[in-house]
Amino acid sequence: MNTRTALVASLALLLSPAAWAHVASNGFLVVQVHGQQLSGSIELAVRDVELAIGIDANRDGKVTWGELHAGEPQLMRYVAQHLSIGTPNSSCPISFQSLQVNQRVDGNYAWLPFTAQCRGDVRQLNIRYSLMQDVDPSHRGLLTLVDGPISQTGVLGGADAAALYSVVAPSRGRAFFEYLQAGIWHIWSGVDHLLFLFSLLLPAVLLRKNARWEPVARARPAFLSILKVVTAFTLAHSITLSLAALDVVRLPSRLTESVIAASIVIAALNNIFPLVTESRARIAFAFGLLHGFGFASVLADMGLPHTARLISLLAFNLGIETGQLAVVLAVMPIAYALRTGVIYRRAIMPWGSALIAAVALVWLVQRAFLPTG
Amino acid sequence: MRAMSGGRPRIFRGRLSGEALLGAILLLIASIDVAWSTPRVPGSDAQVLAELPVGTRHESTPARELARSRLDIALPLAQFYVSRSRATGDLRYLGYAEAVLQPWVQRSPAPPAILVLQATILQSRHSFGAALDRLDLALQAQPDNAQAWLTRATVLRVQGRYTEAMASCGHLAGQADAAIIDLCRQSLAGLTGNLRAAYAAIAGLPQRELASEARAWRYSELGEMAERLGDDAAAEHWFTQGLQLAPEDFYMRAACADLLLRHGRAAETLQLLAGYESMEPMLLRIVLAHRLLGDSQGETGRALLSGAFEVEQQRGEAVHRREQARFLLDVEQQPAAALVAAQENWHVQREPDDALILLRTAQAAHRPDAAAPALLFVQQQGLEDVRLELYQRPAS
Repeated sequence: MNTRTALVASLALLLSPAAWAHVASNGFLVVQVHGQQLSGSIELAVRDVELAIGIDANRDGKVTWGELHAGEPQLMRYVAQHLSIGTPNSSCPISFQSLQVNQRVDGNYAWLPFTAQCRGDVRQLNIRYSLMQDVDPSHRGLLTLVDGPISQTGVLGGADAAALYSVVAPSRGRAFFEYLQAGIWHIWSGVDHLLFLFSLLLPAVLLRKNARWEPVARARPAFLSILKVVTAFTLAHSITLSLAALDVVRLPSRLTESVIAASIVIAALNNIFPLVTESRARIAFAFGLLHGFGFASVLADMGLPHTARLISLLAFNLGIETGQLAVVLAVMPIAYALRTGVIYRRAIMPWGSALIAAVALVWLVQRAFLPTG
Repeated sequence: MRAMSGGRPRIFRGRLSGEALLGAILLLIASIDVAWSTPRVPGSDAQVLAELPVGTRHESTPARELARSRLDIALPLAQFYVSRSRATGDLRYLGYAEAVLQPWVQRSPAPPAILVLQATILQSRHSFGAALDRLDLALQAQPDNAQAWLTRATVLRVQGRYTEAMASCGHLAGQADAAIIDLCRQSLAGLTGNLRAAYAAIAGLPQRELASEARAWRYSELGEMAERLGDDAAAEHWFTQGLQLAPEDFYMRAACADLLLRHGRAAETLQLLAGYESMEPMLLRIVLAHRLLGDSQGETGRALLSGAFEVEQQRGEAVHRREQARFLLDVEQQPAAALVAAQENWHVQREPDDALILLRTAQAAHRPDAAAPALLFVQQQGLEDVRLELYQRPAS
């Protein structure tokens, strides 16, 4: 999710986990606006939960997951009493989902996801936060309020329990720019899409003759081959991205993520044990359809602004294509230059593909078979 | 498959150890994105999520309830939390103490002892103005409250208001030990142009006749004075003595670490601060020591500090602004940002170390104009400190 938080958390793991408990008490509230609906999470340190409501049932000075879990209904009641979200006209009743645990720099946190239903589109949010105030007045709620690609932060609690936040719909220009950026960024950070594309592009500067790879003689066929693959991939994922983003089709994310991983394995293995050599564009198209659902889930996490849905979708898609094109333009000329050398055909092609296949195989196992969350 | 691919499959006949290594690396890479990124449901009910420090159980609620109506319970309970905070560096305890004081503070008039304790908490949070307000209220009700005068002198001193601080020391006459009054006065004299004489005076105080808190204070004062005089060997002697007497004196420990760091004695710094990683100021010095050693072990601490400063900033607090400035300057090497932090810090507190970080960041950011407030202060007060001289010359 948030790579930076993840990094800090992972670093903390390398140290003694108990040694980092000394920051002031903070709760973390994330609220995401989707039209009339809100989704989000509230996080309180396990230690703070104990102090507030008492969950150490066996009184041994240690809170286990079993004890925290048993206190879940109590915790939900406590949070419901001390946190309320509403528009200036009416409240948005919160319904909680099941409790999980999140590790942060200073220890474990009880992580409670929720949704809330408001009446009418949300333009302003009134948040009242008084968690922990009776036992620790220095506790603060650190708010992240997300509306599409725009997020703002705030500090809750203290003397003024209530705070009003404006959720300003972005202008079309701003929305376009933000979603374009998000699209470009996703291609850079979404390694799986790039690995798939490169598995298909690695052989584009080669020709399959007599069960051997040989370099293409001229740039034109290589260029055409690359163009076909990239176009087919783009066309396919644009179709499904649009369908999914506009809620026409929906697939479970576990399925799409697993198949995306599988597509990389197949494309990479095809370079080592070639079955399809001429029409890789078809593979690109077929699996591109699934990658489109993958992009759509990123977009769904961000949400589309209700005022500029289509233009934001277009911008996000354009961003993906821009990022993709930049990578292809940077890498393929090098591949073309190297194609005649033995290193490209004997090392980069087979070993690079094997590496890609291996990484993707691990992803496949994780995504398809390991429990999520 | 084999027939179709010709001789190709031989690439998979690599040495086993190589494959195993590769496999391990791949697993590691691939597991990074799932392991820490999202909330999870722990695998076992028995998994311990938190160990509760002393006094942080919900069970202590009856005591806290009782403290709402009984001063004889509220005071020691709040005092206990404040002392736990001092002993462990755990800032949450200050909040617990505040919660105990809250109903009493809202009374009119609030009991003076409650106000003094509240001022101590505010001082720990670097809310010096608010701390002084509470102390003044307490002193209106109880003009002979020695603790209030002493705390007031300390707060004013940190703010660089030496004349007023000296006046507060004066009010201790007849209320406190002569040695305490001497320490109060001489420590201020040492900041206002009489460093050598004040150093001699404090060194001459009979250690045996002092209460144990005053003894640690004396060592700490002597160490810092020796350092400002340029006698680092003596400073180290005083700090070492002081830390033997009062190992929990974090202020002195940090000062001692700074002395070692200035001499490039990184390994000894790490030894001195081992076990204190949970406190931001200590962690900063640990990271600096690792930098001196040129190893990468400080990376972890660097990331943690960066995150902690960010949260502090978001909360709108400035408890560790001096450390943040030093972090930005010496670790992140962002002199411009460091200067901003040092300037903000200078608005809040004006100890010699605050002047030092402002001068250092101004020089590093090539902004000699930004150093002017500190230079003016040094000149007006007659502050003597060899560490500052290096930065005073180019400007004068």
